[in-house]
Amino acid sequence: MLSTLIWLPVIGAAIIGVLPQEKAARNARNVALIVASIIFFWTLFVLSKFSISNPGFQFTEYLPWIETLGLSYHLGIDGISLPLVVLNSLLIWIVIFSSGDKIARPKLYYSLILLVSSGLAGSFLAQNLLLFVLFYEIELIPLYLLIAIWGGLKREYAAIKFLLYTAVSGILILAAFLALGWLAGSTIKGSTLNFDYETIKSTILPFSWQIPLLITLLIGFGIKTPLVPFHTWLPDAYVEASPPIAILLGGVLAKLGTYGLVRFCLGLFPDAWGTVAPSLAIWATASVVYGALTAIAQKDIKRMVAYSSIGHMGYVLLGLAPATPLGTVGAVAQMFSHGVILAALFYLVGVVEEKVGTRELDVLNGLMNPIRGLPFISAFLVAAGMASAGIPGLVGFIAEFVVFQGAYATFPIPTLICVVGTMLTGVYFVILLNRTCFGKLDNSTAYYPKVLWSERVPALILVGLTFFLGVQPSWLMRWSEQSSTALVASVQVHPEQQIAKVIEPLEK
Amino acid sequence: MSEFLLQTIWMVPLYPLAGMILTIPWSPGMIRRTGPRPSGYVNLITTFFAFLHGLFALTAIWNQAPYQIFIPWLQVANLDLTLPLEISTVTVGATVVITGLNVLAQIFAVGYLEMDWGWARLFALMAFFEAGMCSLVLCNSLFFSYAILELLTLGTYLLVGFWFNQSLVVTGARDAFLTKRVGDLFLLMGVLGLYPITQTWNFTDLAEWASTAQIDPKLAALLGLALIAGPLGKCAQFPFHLWLDEAMEGPLPASILRNAVVVATGAWVLVKIQPVLSLSPVSESAMFIVGGATAIGASLISVAQIDIKRALSYLVSAYMGIVFIAVAAEQTQTALLLTFTYSLSMALLVMGIGGVVWNNTTQDLTQYGGLWSRRPVSAFAFIIGGMGLIALPPLGGFWSMQKLVEQLWISNPSIAVLVLIVNGIVAFSLTRTFGLVFAGQVKPMTYRSPEIHWPMALPMMFLSGLNLHVPLLFLQWQLLPSLETVNLTVPLSLAVSSLVGFALSGVIYLNNNWQKPVQLGWKPLQDFFAYDLYTPTLYKVSIVFVVDLISRVMYAIDRYLVDGLVNLTGIVTVFSGQTLKYNVSGKGQFYILSILLGISFLVILVSWPFLSQLLIVSK
Repeated sequence: MLSTLIWLPVIGAAIIGVLPQEKAARNARNVALIVASIIFFWTLFVLSKFSISNPGFQFTEYLPWIETLGLSYHLGIDGISLPLVVLNSLLIWIVIFSSGDKIARPKLYYSLILLVSSGLAGSFLAQNLLLFVLFYEIELIPLYLLIAIWGGLKREYAAIKFLLYTAVSGILILAAFLALGWLAGSTIKGSTLNFDYETIKSTILPFSWQIPLLITLLIGFGIKTPLVPFHTWLPDAYVEASPPIAILLGGVLAKLGTYGLVRFCLGLFPDAWGTVAPSLAIWATASVVYGALTAIAQKDIKRMVAYSSIGHMGYVLLGLAPATPLGTVGAVAQMFSHGVILAALFYLVGVVEEKVGTRELDVLNGLMNPIRGLPFISAFLVAAGMASAGIPGLVGFIAEFVVFQGAYATFPIPTLICVVGTMLTGVYFVILLNRTCFGKLDNSTAYYPKVLWSERVPALILVGLTFFLGVQPSWLMRWSEQSSTALVASVQVHPEQQIAKVIEPLEK
Repeated sequence: MSEFLLQTIWMVPLYPLAGMILTIPWSPGMIRRTGPRPSGYVNLITTFFAFLHGLFALTAIWNQAPYQIFIPWLQVANLDLTLPLEISTVTVGATVVITGLNVLAQIFAVGYLEMDWGWARLFALMAFFEAGMCSLVLCNSLFFSYAILELLTLGTYLLVGFWFNQSLVVTGARDAFLTKRVGDLFLLMGVLGLYPITQTWNFTDLAEWASTAQIDPKLAALLGLALIAGPLGKCAQFPFHLWLDEAMEGPLPASILRNAVVVATGAWVLVKIQPVLSLSPVSESAMFIVGGATAIGASLISVAQIDIKRALSYLVSAYMGIVFIAVAAEQTQTALLLTFTYSLSMALLVMGIGGVVWNNTTQDLTQYGGLWSRRPVSAFAFIIGGMGLIALPPLGGFWSMQKLVEQLWISNPSIAVLVLIVNGIVAFSLTRTFGLVFAGQVKPMTYRSPEIHWPMALPMMFLSGLNLHVPLLFLQWQLLPSLETVNLTVPLSLAVSSLVGFALSGVIYLNNNWQKPVQLGWKPLQDFFAYDLYTPTLYKVSIVFVVDLISRVMYAIDRYLVDGLVNLTGIVTVFSGQTLKYNVSGKGQFYILSILLGISFLVILVSWPFLSQLLIVSK
């Protein structure tokens, strides 16, 4: 059942590879779109069969592979990976749909995108640590090519930077996982090497080993997420990548980092997590504020959206730090909501760039003009920007609120500072909207090509989803509730002193 | 019938929402053939239905005990977000006021925006406001109130930015959004901070909790201040008052709604959380200080304005300041009554000047004059609105103000005197506006100024009638004080303060012999008020400057330090690689030398523990 999500895109990529050269652009896109649609419907099918009340892994598949290494083909899905798998399937469809026929070297392009989809799905589903690393590393190659071939002016610099950073992240994670597997194997006498998630989760490591391993993993996933100060690959990669690839990078790939934080850091090191949690809350706060403040200083709308992403990933860590069921649900919801909103923003910024020909804040103006501007795109941009700034009724708000509510009881001060971070988010989105959508359209330059309905569809879907999940958030959150509760059950985070002071007088 | 409508009272916000959605086909590019006007009519009809629904429900709830209904929304982990609605005479009555004023404002908009192309947007946004405000008054939860206030902040941004071609409009929309958002987010902090202590956001439960709560005074003060900040932004109180001034760049029908009811949403929330605020003397005195300072300051600024809409908008802040004072004095009933009379009169005042602005193509008070004979309807609307606003018997404002001052007289006499002074200044300011617009000589801009057409005149006349009937309504609701118990000093001093304001202003502004523009003796003082106490400059040199500077510095650090370090590592690697390649010389002796050096270095390294021992021994 789950293997379909991994292997169907590979088959699709192979089919695209053998398509005849004539009319390759259209055919490749059609095949890719069909495959993506099947994957999406298959994901919905998985969703319909998913049992919400079961906190453990479902639809597990097990196939021994290289037993001497402890590597096995072990898949499974639970409430934490499910929203991310759905996000992956949805955004891959959006990416393929929005890519258009004018892409150079279409066969390569679409097959690479399908391979990325396969790698991402594999990482979210893998239940063996080595298998996870395998998928985690494999999806770098197509992404590197996607940035380096179809990117902007500085694409090679950005692609190499992206590759180096994420490769370092992969090495750190691999090292930590290997150490983890060996240590876990050595604690049980006579057992063979085994990297299965459940096996490792059930062995208790000495505390002195947990901390260094956890820190290694935190840095590894922190690079991928990215968290400040490991983030500098992000603005370059997001900005230089073409809009569909930016959606892939920011919408799904970055979620691998936060997914790793939940699954492997919080899940495998419950004791050590409790110790480092206060520092994590501070790290999250630093990321939020840093991302928001640097975004304010940007002059390029794509770069602004890229920096906004850094801040928003900080909320995920803030939700995870206290290891409460609510915070974890909020963190997963924030991953999904950020994926959708960021995809919408990158898509719209891409349309603006394509039609208007610039991303400069100082050049853009008056796009809301109903006749000669881009009124629909502007309206969507307002909605997506406001969703990102956390206006109620849109999904960004409720995800952030649940994060805050989950984190406040344990870390009141960092949470309040993050609330200030949402204020700053509001500041740069108002700057963005004021300069692009509002203002007087310059008549001499306003000869923009028409926006076709097919170009509005992706924005419509993404913004519609933002709105729907904002009004009906239980559709987003109910999936992960049980798994989150089970995951954090054994974690003990010691609240900060402040809250104790608050509660004390009440108990008297 | 009425019972059924009462049970379905939660539907009231859905009518305007439906109207909003029905507007979509008239957004640009979809239906061109009919022009944009049908969108307005659709919204008028839905709003009118909402009004009727509320009106019938009001007759059913009249004199009944309030009750709550609960609508489940989100249950996740241990968080239960159920939407509680409070159905009572006050809440249903408030929806009737909101929808009723919105019907009038929308009819007014039909006339005012006759030539505009943005009908769909304006009416959709007005409906959005209506839906938001109706949900706000019905909902009985601090969390949902906060959420709705945030939504209204977005609505303000879009509505103020309606004519987004103009640069002043764009900055006005931006400032309105950001100022209100700052307030909202402080409120969010309060919302977050309150929950661990009370385990509820339901206003009724909060009030119950507050009646017995024992809580650390420092925490109570912090919570109270955070909770006040939200209403502070909404009600345009010092120091968050500037947005309302800039919001006057928006279309006038929206200003009717904003000045009359939207700002009052802040007051509504304040009234609802008053039990929690009363836990802390610090937050109560903060409300007194802010409310008092705004009431005096804003009414003085209003006197110095030369923009007709701004002269009114500062009175909004001033009156909301008085509501703050009422809440601080724990007179929530009076605060609501004050808000009610204020809303009706302020809506009428804005309509009155709206008609004038519409066909005189200027908002500059100094260019008006002599419209009395040309614009009788507008003039009467302004007079009735003004008399209803200030404390002048027998109209509405007098009775609510009298209630407030009578209690303040006993508890805080100095505040009571302050309210009297504010009342006098407001009377002065209104008479000044009236005198500059309607009295005096005809000027070039007012030479041709026919009375407005019916879509604007109708709501104006209707609202004038309603304002005149407010005392009768009060009589019906038994809100008027009985003659035996009343302390006569209060009504007398109120009336005197209003009359003094009128008279002083009349001598100056209804008098053609007095030199205009009027100069205050000392120019810097006049400028101080005319330039809104220099608040824009204050913002610019403080918060705007700081945020801008920090963001630039952070970005520079990001580019040159964090990223610079990464690039430096890259460059060093490349450079050393480039340098080392010259080692490949092809000469055997060079290779052997490097091998020898390497090996001897390793040997020393490995045997270092041993060697160091040797060294110590030799010493």
